[in-house]
Amino acid sequence: MKRRRFLIPSLLAAGLGAHDPARAADKEAGLAPPPADPDAGSLARLYSQDHLFTLASHRSHSSHSSHSSGSGGGGHYSHTSHRSSTGGYDGGSYSYDPPVIPRLPRTPPSPLPSQTAPQPLFTPFERASPPAGDGLAPLSGRTRRFAAIVRRVELALLAQDFYKGPIDGVVTPELRAALRAFQGKRGLEVTGTITPATLDALMVSSQ
Amino acid sequence: MIPLRLRGRAEATAPYVVRLSTARDVAPGPGAARLVTEDDEGVAFSSANGLLAIDGVCAAMLDGDVVLVDPQRQWVERLLRAGSQHNTLVVTERCDQLCVMCSQPPKKTHVDRFALLEEACLLAAPDLLIGISGGEPTLFKEELLAMVERVLGVRPDLSFHILSNAQHFTEQDIPRLAAPAFRRVSWGIPIYAATAGLHDAIVVKDGAFTALQKGLAALLVAGARVELRTVVVKDNLAALPELARFVAVRLQFVEAWSLMQLEHVGFAKGRWDNLFADHRAAFAPLAEAIDYAILHGVRAQLFNFPRCTVPAAYRSLARASISDWKRKFPNRCAPCREQAQCGGFFAWHPDDQASQMVQPL
Repeated sequence: MKRRRFLIPSLLAAGLGAHDPARAADKEAGLAPPPADPDAGSLARLYSQDHLFTLASHRSHSSHSSHSSGSGGGGHYSHTSHRSSTGGYDGGSYSYDPPVIPRLPRTPPSPLPSQTAPQPLFTPFERASPPAGDGLAPLSGRTRRFAAIVRRVELALLAQDFYKGPIDGVVTPELRAALRAFQGKRGLEVTGTITPATLDALMVSSQ
Repeated sequence: MIPLRLRGRAEATAPYVVRLSTARDVAPGPGAARLVTEDDEGVAFSSANGLLAIDGVCAAMLDGDVVLVDPQRQWVERLLRAGSQHNTLVVTERCDQLCVMCSQPPKKTHVDRFALLEEACLLAAPDLLIGISGGEPTLFKEELLAMVERVLGVRPDLSFHILSNAQHFTEQDIPRLAAPAFRRVSWGIPIYAATAGLHDAIVVKDGAFTALQKGLAALLVAGARVELRTVVVKDNLAALPELARFVAVRLQFVEAWSLMQLEHVGFAKGRWDNLFADHRAAFAPLAEAIDYAILHGVRAQLFNFPRCTVPAAYRSLARASISDWKRKFPNRCAPCREQAQCGGFFAWHPDDQASQMVQPL
């Protein structure tokens, strides 16, 4: 047990996982294989055997395919203007719409002089605006939060030999199979999903 | 404004209902999700349906909420907020009327969510009053009544308030509606005038008044609990005393008669000048109607009337009727001593208008 606990931090230290900002920047800029790589990553692909790996700032393209599968993780990189949580509200596509629910007033604090007047009641329920951008946060908060936990689950399952896929924060059929195998082995309810009991058993604790 | 819909990223692919719990150490029961992490921008929960990351809220705000998660659209809808008496489930957006002042104009399509809504009810906090609205919920009368019966069979602590035009109740429904479970159900039923011509014109449906009388008769025989609702518009303002006499004579069994001021949304928004009856300038018909009703044992009350806009003698009838999540007060209300008892304004009411109307008490 103890050994496993130490294995995860070691994997992290070895550079597996946790490369969101760089990856996000790739995605945002729509970067093709870096020009510095004349064989367009084919050599890297050959050796990566379909595993995610990180070399300098160049990520293996063999893992890109996994981004389009799973629960739609790949398609939700939001633009900078969407960093407020409700930026994507369109209200139109959902055929069930509760009464008009205006978008949250979660715009970055604007230095309007009129703001000095007392605010109406029932507005202070929202979170403060996200911290000022460092230019590296094109992912919506939920996507980052979601992927961060999935990566920890992937690592923990990898450490226990249930999972062999990339540590990419994407829920793939492969990860589901690993979850089912783990849950079965540990006598947990077999759901193939990241349940509270599974998080506990994997010792992926709350942050 | 309390947000009822949040952006969320779910592991599941199909919609599901779950109750959120911030107690980290306890293993959540069936249908419950446990808090996993919280950061500056939101939270993440885990349940049997897997991970769920929600943006724009802190965990404490969501504790005990029953939410409907739509993974495809990345929506999390707060169906039943713990500790709120203003939870409403919309069972359909289809309607068979087209009321001139409708605040939620109907849609042609019906998305059947009864199974999910029923699950939500079963996960509700103890003793919760659950509102049901539409559209016209009784267009799906069988599904609606069956849901109410099943939920109350398992959860006799809950109660329902259902908004319906009552036009679909027949004699055949009487034994069913008379069952003990329906003591925990009250019906909010609109009536806009004492005459068919005016009522039908306001709801834009021929025969509506006649059908309504039949429906009310069925509810009366079943011993149902009924709240009548009358939205005040320019067209029926002068006819309110006549309606009061009709209610007092014909419909005295009702628990309450709510006279409601217009909501600045939906159809009413575009027709405001044609519809809005300024009760500050013309309270006389309202006063006469209220007096008559109360003298005849009908409990009249005022909804959506800011207290300071009502003559002092009738102020106690003005309820804080606007749901917590859509209530607001203009800045001028700040010094008012009666704000706690006041309904204020709908969040979508134009600020300048609201501001002009009020006079802090």
